[in-house]
Amino acid sequence: MEQKRKERLDRGIKVRSDTIYALMSVKEIAYLVLPRLVLICGLLIAPLVMPSMYWQRVISIVCIYCLLAISFDFLAHFVGLVSLGGAFFIGVGSYLAAILNTYWGLSPVLTIPLATIFGALICTILLLPCLPLRGVYFAIVTLMYPLALARIIEALDIFGGTDGIMGVTSFPGRWVELYFMVGMVLIFLFGMRRLVNEDIGLVFRAVKDNDQAVRASGMNVTFFKAIGVCIASAMGCLGGACLVHIYMWAGISQFALDFSILPIAATVIGGAGTLVGPVIGCIILVPISELLRTFGTLRIVFYSLILVAFIVFRSEGLMVYGQRKYHQFERWVRV
Amino acid sequence: MARARELMAIVVAISLLALFCVMPKQARAEKPIVLGCPLSTAFLYGWDAERGIKLAVEEINAAGGVNVGGVKRPFKVEVMDTRDLEPGVPVSEALLVVEKLILEKGADFLLGGPVRSEAALAAMPLLSKYKKISIVSTGVLSPKYSAMVAKNYDKYKYCFRIHGEAKWLVGEILACFKELKQEYGLNKILVMVQDVAHARGAGKVISKVAAKKGFDVLGMEVFPTGTSDFSMGLLKAKRGGAQILNIWMDMPESSILLKQWYQMRIKALPFGSTLAAAEQPGFWKATEGKGEYTLCNVVNAGNAPSEATPWTMKFYRAYTKRWGVEPEGLGSSSSYMTVYVLKDAIERAGTLDSDAVVKALEQTDMMGVYGRIRFNPKSHQVIPALDPEKGAVGSVIQWQAGKRIVVYPKSIATGEIKLPPWMLK
Amino acid sequence: MDIIIYGIINSISLALMALGFALVYGISRLPNFAHGALYVVAGFITWTLLKAAGLNYLLSIILAMAITGLIGGLLYQFILIRVRGMAISEIIASYAMGLAVLEGLRWGGFKGMTYTLPVFAQGSIMIWGVPVDYHRIIVVGIGAAVVLFLWIFTRSTRVGLALRGMAQDERASLMLGIDSDVMAVVAMVLGSALAALAAILLLPLGNIVVEAGYNVLILAIAVCIVGGLGSWFGAVLAAFLIGFAQILTVAYVGSHFQMVVAILAIIITLILKPSGLFGKQKELEERV
Repeated sequence: MEQKRKERLDRGIKVRSDTIYALMSVKEIAYLVLPRLVLICGLLIAPLVMPSMYWQRVISIVCIYCLLAISFDFLAHFVGLVSLGGAFFIGVGSYLAAILNTYWGLSPVLTIPLATIFGALICTILLLPCLPLRGVYFAIVTLMYPLALARIIEALDIFGGTDGIMGVTSFPGRWVELYFMVGMVLIFLFGMRRLVNEDIGLVFRAVKDNDQAVRASGMNVTFFKAIGVCIASAMGCLGGACLVHIYMWAGISQFALDFSILPIAATVIGGAGTLVGPVIGCIILVPISELLRTFGTLRIVFYSLILVAFIVFRSEGLMVYGQRKYHQFERWVRV
Repeated sequence: MARARELMAIVVAISLLALFCVMPKQARAEKPIVLGCPLSTAFLYGWDAERGIKLAVEEINAAGGVNVGGVKRPFKVEVMDTRDLEPGVPVSEALLVVEKLILEKGADFLLGGPVRSEAALAAMPLLSKYKKISIVSTGVLSPKYSAMVAKNYDKYKYCFRIHGEAKWLVGEILACFKELKQEYGLNKILVMVQDVAHARGAGKVISKVAAKKGFDVLGMEVFPTGTSDFSMGLLKAKRGGAQILNIWMDMPESSILLKQWYQMRIKALPFGSTLAAAEQPGFWKATEGKGEYTLCNVVNAGNAPSEATPWTMKFYRAYTKRWGVEPEGLGSSSSYMTVYVLKDAIERAGTLDSDAVVKALEQTDMMGVYGRIRFNPKSHQVIPALDPEKGAVGSVIQWQAGKRIVVYPKSIATGEIKLPPWMLK
Repeated sequence: MDIIIYGIINSISLALMALGFALVYGISRLPNFAHGALYVVAGFITWTLLKAAGLNYLLSIILAMAITGLIGGLLYQFILIRVRGMAISEIIASYAMGLAVLEGLRWGGFKGMTYTLPVFAQGSIMIWGVPVDYHRIIVVGIGAAVVLFLWIFTRSTRVGLALRGMAQDERASLMLGIDSDVMAVVAMVLGSALAALAAILLLPLGNIVVEAGYNVLILAIAVCIVGGLGSWFGAVLAAFLIGFAQILTVAYVGSHFQMVVAILAIIITLILKPSGLFGKQKELEERV
């Protein structure tokens, strides 16, 4: 019986646009630039074409989730640490920004950068004891941290306790808020993509693949993991600080599990390992979640079923699938 | 290739679904007055409001609608689930729902929620930003809500509350305590609260005031949400000789507490507030009668049968007929009244303009389901009283022989407080 | 004295909740995050059979355990088996299914606090001056019996030994002809049935609500981590540890900190000895 197998070959244009040969002609440059251009232009134009103010608010929320999703993807697929604690970063960032704003009266221009930097430091220090852990243990610790922190704030009744901190100043204007968020997402997205190809990015990836080898090379694995966590938590804290200024309020519910789960779902659906995938995943998931709101509780059921379907049947994600189709073509050949 | 096709099919299906949801909104007519209701519909304090509001809207629409400056317009209810009573959900979800109701569904007024105090407090700046009137009628017991309106009137004047709040509830409960002391000599109190803002705050206040009034307060036990074992707390009560257990818990695990109380034959009377488990008519069957003698403050009359005003039993019977179950929870009667109060204010103002309706609401003076409804002009809180002729009346009920008997205030009581047999020995 | 008695009751309750999870993880290394959903579903099935269909209580219990076991098995066979081996995917897939089930129950009308199951026996007795109700004594009795049963089962029956073999070393048991897929399904069915048993024993003490599913999941994970993922004896011991820690906290520090204790226990265990008290993973596998 004749047997066939599937063969995948790089497209001609991909081969022709490899490295420096990309400069050969406009077609090659376009091939490389087009997807990125579409994404950037799409994100920049989106706030302008949205039908109502509500959808513009949705865009801001999408951006916050994008930041979280990029940080999750970065940690999970480039440093090897599966972090289920997006809520932890958001909570720390948001409380810091709220405290800086209400107790010391700093304006959003200062609170956001300060919250990002100090938030990253605080998160890294708190996660330091857990960094040597591997695999599922790190995941569970990061899952528990936001819950523990929420309970502690509740139990000790500090920082406003269960009431939360109110009266935080909001962004100077709607457009400032939107374009700041979109800008941040784009900067971090492309920044991260560049970072993983730098030297330090190589070390991260080595830590993920084989940390014993890194140790054997005389490099302190925990130190590099700490740097990775610092970068990821900076993104999360930035998201939290922005969230506080959008809604003018901070509270315990910012440690909610929703913030941990949605980035993971977005990464799964969008494509793990490519930092763009999570962004695409968020762009798909959050608006769909909003559209389905009319169905009430059924929305969550749909959501989970879609997630399961993706995980089981197409666990590589949309972006990886898309990249493969873009760069390669398939055909059946006779064995 | 087949794989690509199925992916295309999924994408097409999703986009069709999206279009389907987005399109009909544009075609909505301008005539009905849209009432946005951000409620946590999967929980008692959400669906009690939903049902109260829908019942009122149906009655008003059947009678012709609301007279807005000469034109009769119907009400239209848009309920959206905020999930804010669920533990793992951030308050920003509730805020998103409020914004969606205002910006997309074109809500003219917001009624009912958000239900959780945190969410309601966080929604206040949003309401002032969009200049939309909101009358909360369920949940939100925190005194901070009306305090913030009073503190910053110009910013938060669009926020009203039509049901009793924690401070007034404390007063009612203390009055009952005094009666228990006089009648039965009960003096020792153990306060058991859930670890949430309004419960803790109320518990602290009750402990202080009761101690000042001469009661022996054994202490305050705080239980985190989700606690499933109250044995140690109950044993402490037993050891300390507590005679009254003041319970502030709306989590479902409170029924574990009550069942254990019954099993252990603790010689103390459970007196609860926002004791959601005990507010439902199904409580009796659910505990197989073990919930007898539980006292519960249901916040406003009408949530349990009494003759506070002629309207009370009319509402009670209409609700039972419409929904097949008696009014349950603490938001039923207040949500029902919210719609009527709003109708009255719109008709007096003659317009839907928020500032005009705010002024009209401040001048509200009507006899409602639970007494005379008037708002405090500074804090926009409904004015409470012990006499239905003077203000909004609350209700404390006790479960006796399968029925909810109103035992307080005396002006509308249908029965007396009874002690469990093992306490009378 | 009351601390000891209620400590034992609390610990056995925790152990019952966690055993199902520990079993499934120990045998097929599958973190079953749908555990909480199976717990709640079992409760609602029993309620439906009892109240709506009017069956005998004992019959409802047995049917509910069987149905829940079946649901667990189907869940594994059709969904989880495809993601076996990829840790994150397993967690997400099982959590998403659990979420779908729980929210589906809520949408289907199972909301509010009026769904309850009757206790097995009414009344209470005084043990050493402490009032304890009969149902809780029955819980302790059955809990201890279940632990004993599992111990005997995994040591003397063929299926039990096969399960233990798979837990120890999957490759070796494959070589001996033990089909790992079949064993994994068996483990899942057993784990779900245990979750159902825990639900049936513990739910009559209160009422059946969907939120209980999330709480049970967190407690089960806490117990399994402290005891060591993969060790059933460790899970039981950890249940006692956490159970008594909670009771002591309530008695001496204040009921406020109950849940914090559980979560802190997890974090401290993971920092000091990640594989838990009796975990079987080697030092090198767990930290760098």
